[in-house]
Amino acid sequence: MPILGEDSGRPAAGQEARAALPREPSPGELFRVFFGISAVTVGGGYAMVPVIGRALEKRRWLDEDEFYRLFARAQSFPGPNAFTIALVAGGRLAGTRGAAAAAAGVVLPPFGALLLVGAALGRFGQLAPVRSFLAGAGATVPGLVAAMIWKIARKRSWTAARAAATLGLAAALALLPGLTLPVFLGAATILYLAERRWKS
Amino acid sequence: MEILSIAWAFFKVGIVSFGGGWSIVGLIKHEVVPRWLDDEGFRSLVAIAQSTPGPIALNAATLVGWERGGILGALLATGSVLAFPVLAVASAGFIASRLAARGRGLDQGALDEALRTATLAMMLMTLWTLRPASLDPLVLGLALASFALAAFTKLSPLWAILGAGAAKAAWDLLAGL
Repeated sequence: MPILGEDSGRPAAGQEARAALPREPSPGELFRVFFGISAVTVGGGYAMVPVIGRALEKRRWLDEDEFYRLFARAQSFPGPNAFTIALVAGGRLAGTRGAAAAAAGVVLPPFGALLLVGAALGRFGQLAPVRSFLAGAGATVPGLVAAMIWKIARKRSWTAARAAATLGLAAALALLPGLTLPVFLGAATILYLAERRWKS
Repeated sequence: MEILSIAWAFFKVGIVSFGGGWSIVGLIKHEVVPRWLDDEGFRSLVAIAQSTPGPIALNAATLVGWERGGILGALLATGSVLAFPVLAVASAGFIASRLAARGRGLDQGALDEALRTATLAMMLMTLWTLRPASLDPLVLGLALASFALAAFTKLSPLWAILGAGAAKAAWDLLAGL
C-alpha cells in the first residue's frame, strides 16, 4: 500500500505512461540516490529539490512533469521540502518502504555532518578567532532571510487581499510569539476557505 | 527533563514547518532563546545550519539537540521535528478519501495559495525576530552585503556566510593587535 492512497489523484493515463518507463527502483536504490544528493547539496530544500528532480528524471523513474506534480503535493505538507519530496516521491515509486528509504537517505548525511560540526564546536568553539568567525557568519542571517523573502515575493501572484493578509498575519505572529501554532493554523484555515471562495 | 522539553519544542516546530527552511527559523528562536541558547549563539547556529548539507530546519534541530543533550539530544530533536510531517504524509491518503466520500474534495490550488501567504508571513516574522541585534556597522554591513549577494547574484549563500565569518575574524584579529 503506497503511503499516499491510490485515490491520490493520479489519472489512469499516468499509469500507462509509467509502464513505458524502464523499471521501478528498489528502496535500496532510492536510499542511495537521496543519500548521495543530501550529502553534497548545501543550502537546504531550495537547492536540493531541482537536483532531486534531475536525478529521478535521468534514471527515468519519474518524468519532469510528474516530479513537479509530486513536489506541489509535497509542499502542502509540513516539513523540510527535501524531506517531504523524499516521502512523497519515494512512496510513489516504491511504496511505504520506498518512502522510508528515501527519507532516511535525506536525513542521515546532514545528521552525521552536524554531529561532527557539533563535536568540533565543542572542542574549538571557545577560541577567539572561531568565535569571531561564528559571529560574522551569524551576522548574515537577517540578510539571507530578507533575500529569500525578496525572491519569493517577486514571484508571488499578488492581489491586494493577499498582500494585506500576508502583512497582517506577519504582524500577528510577531506580536504573539507564544501563540504561533494556533495563529498560524487558524490563519491558514481561514486563508484556505477565502482562497476557495475568491476563485468561485 | 530538559531533553523531553527539547523534543516537545521541536515537535511543535514540526507542526507548522510548511515551506520548510527559513519560515520556521523565527519559531525555533522563540522556542530555544533564551532557554537553551543566547541570541548570538543562535545566529551562529543558523549560519552553520545553512552552510552544512541538508535542510536548515532539520540542521538547526540537530545542533540545538546536540548542544543541550549530546547524541541522544540530537536524535530526539531531529526525530521530533520530523514526527508530525511523517504523520501528515502518512495520513493524507486516508483524509483525502474521507473528504472525497463526503463530496468535499480538497481544493489543491486554494491550499497552495493559502500556504504561500502563511509561509511568507512566517518568513517576515523570522526576519523581524532575527533583525540585527546590534548597531555595530560591521554587523549591519555584513547583513546588507549578504542580502545583496543572495538576492541579486546567483552565488550560493554559502559564500556570503564564509566570507562574512572570515571578514569578522580578520577584523577582530586586526583590532586586537
